[in-house]
Amino acid sequence: MEKLWVLLLLTFVLAETFANPRGLITNLDNGELCLQSVQCKSRCCHKNSLLGLARCMDKAAENQECSRKHLYGFYYRCPCEGGLNCDASWTIGGVITNTDYGICRDPKDSNARKEKN
Amino acid sequence: MRCCVPAELKGKKKGAYLPSISPNFTPSAPLHELAAPSLSPPYSQENLLNQTCEIESPEEEKLDGTTFKDISVHKKVVGGLLAVIGRDEETPSRKEVCYEPLGCFTDDAPWSGTLLRPISKLPWSPEKLNTRFLLYTREHPDSFEEIKATSPATISQSNFNASKITRFITHGFIDKGEENWLSDMCKNMLQVEDVNCICVDWKRGARCPYTQASNNIRVIGAEVAYFIDVLMTKYGYSPSMVHLIGHSLGAHLFGEAGKRRPGIGRITGLDPAQPYFQGTPIEVRLDKSDASFVDVIHTDMLPTIPYLGFGMSDPVGHLDFFPNGGETMPGCSKNAVSQIVDIDGIWEGTRDFMACNHLRSYKYYSDSILYPDGFLGYQCSAYSEFESGDCFPCPSNGCPKMGHYADQFKDRVTFGFTKLYLNTGDARVFARWRYKVSVTLSGKSSVRGYINIALYGSGGNTKQYQIFHGKLKPAQSYTELIDVEIDVGTVNKVKFLWNNNIINPTLPRLGASNIIVEDGKDGKVYNFCGSETVREEVLQTLTAC
Repeated sequence: MEKLWVLLLLTFVLAETFANPRGLITNLDNGELCLQSVQCKSRCCHKNSLLGLARCMDKAAENQECSRKHLYGFYYRCPCEGGLNCDASWTIGGVITNTDYGICRDPKDSNARKEKN
Repeated sequence: MRCCVPAELKGKKKGAYLPSISPNFTPSAPLHELAAPSLSPPYSQENLLNQTCEIESPEEEKLDGTTFKDISVHKKVVGGLLAVIGRDEETPSRKEVCYEPLGCFTDDAPWSGTLLRPISKLPWSPEKLNTRFLLYTREHPDSFEEIKATSPATISQSNFNASKITRFITHGFIDKGEENWLSDMCKNMLQVEDVNCICVDWKRGARCPYTQASNNIRVIGAEVAYFIDVLMTKYGYSPSMVHLIGHSLGAHLFGEAGKRRPGIGRITGLDPAQPYFQGTPIEVRLDKSDASFVDVIHTDMLPTIPYLGFGMSDPVGHLDFFPNGGETMPGCSKNAVSQIVDIDGIWEGTRDFMACNHLRSYKYYSDSILYPDGFLGYQCSAYSEFESGDCFPCPSNGCPKMGHYADQFKDRVTFGFTKLYLNTGDARVFARWRYKVSVTLSGKSSVRGYINIALYGSGGNTKQYQIFHGKLKPAQSYTELIDVEIDVGTVNKVKFLWNNNIINPTLPRLGASNIIVEDGKDGKVYNFCGSETVREEVLQTLTAC
């Protein structure tokens, strides 16, 4: 069973490396191919699916879908812009599969809302 | 760039596409002379009438790879249908070719032999060009029906509706009429309006050396004019209900059509081709005299040599739009791999790799159909002035809209050229809405850093836009124009954020005491006030005051 997982992971890694032409340089513009978020000016390397190609994309604005910042290097939903929190519910499965999505919120606004309640 | 003559045209069928001619046909009166009063002297009707259609030394003459002998034999048989006129000793190269019912085409100046058009080529015959008219309608939005002017039965059998507006779309060099962008543009139109959308395909004429293709458009333009003539005679269709949308060489093609068929409602030139057309007389290229309303989008106007810009920089229409300044488009300077491996596929990416700026013109147009006020053009004398905000906001009667809705400003065109500037996005959706934002800072310490602003309104909220980067001083105002990705509508609050990207042990606090937002669309001014200061990377919300 373990071997199967390793094999599966290896095929994914290989598929990734061959399917992904490398974003050759750093400081990449939106729309350029990337492997790691640090390559992008926007600091978000975004892809639609696990085997899809990753491209640099703007960070999520308020009220848009987002993921928390993490070390995978790429995101299915970009993290939020400055000053915003990604209001995501935390699950172990979500963290492993990189699918902990939330909505970008201004922490000050949510504080105000809590005080009202 | 790929360019070749289709193999089947190279050797075979010599003279097979020579047209038959009616006895009363006069090659000396080309159709387009009727519409173009300002022709140069050697091309006037009198001169042509004085010419006799004599043929000399047929063996020496070469006509587009076909030996002239073949033609002359045919000519003797038919009796003067294809005239190659040796004018005099000084210009022995002058040739003329006639295709019934389109008229005659010479390679005389200004068509050839000028500094701007040094290589002379005669246009190919309609049979060789095989121009096709592909009709898309609301009844038939996903597949085309091919209609022909030569057999009007195909028109009456199709879903063509003579009570509706007809929009023709055509492509440019190397491209083809079945290319996705043409049918996608039709589909976008059919979403918002009920029209006859006809894609004109002339791929055979477009896939050949550029000098040949730029002459082939003369015959195809005549075919389009003939097609409209047939609609007029058959359905009593008014040419004012015709809108021609041409990209690159196709823009000049429709210019030719408009010149031959006066009274056409509108021609849209999507980055008209530059080599062989820029600086030429108006009968050669697209011009505002070709239709009652001509609007042009310039997206690739750098000189062809050495920058490989394919589009014209001269204004040629009633309204000339220069999105992003008209020279280089955002999203077109990606590295080669990222450009080719495009979200829309390798083919789309390769096209963009070859001519990204040039192809942006039809992408903007296509988007403009669905976003009527996402492409407002600000009238300005230069892009730098537009960028510095000298031409902001729109005048009280509104800004012309680039693209599909430009004809709403038909009645307000002036005698001269109207240059309009705007900015677009770097990827689909290209629509943008322009705002002017002034921020007055409050606080105690001055730090280096940047200011970000996000707008919140009835239409949603934008992402954060950087207003300023540098030394931030309290009580100072910073003004910037931003092009945001959504139509905010009525702005009801603004969020302010600053950051310096380095750790500052003095823990400075800054705020915005006042933010003024001006909407470019209607000049409406919104005033927002704030009393607090915030630490870096913390949003401050300002509400109306």
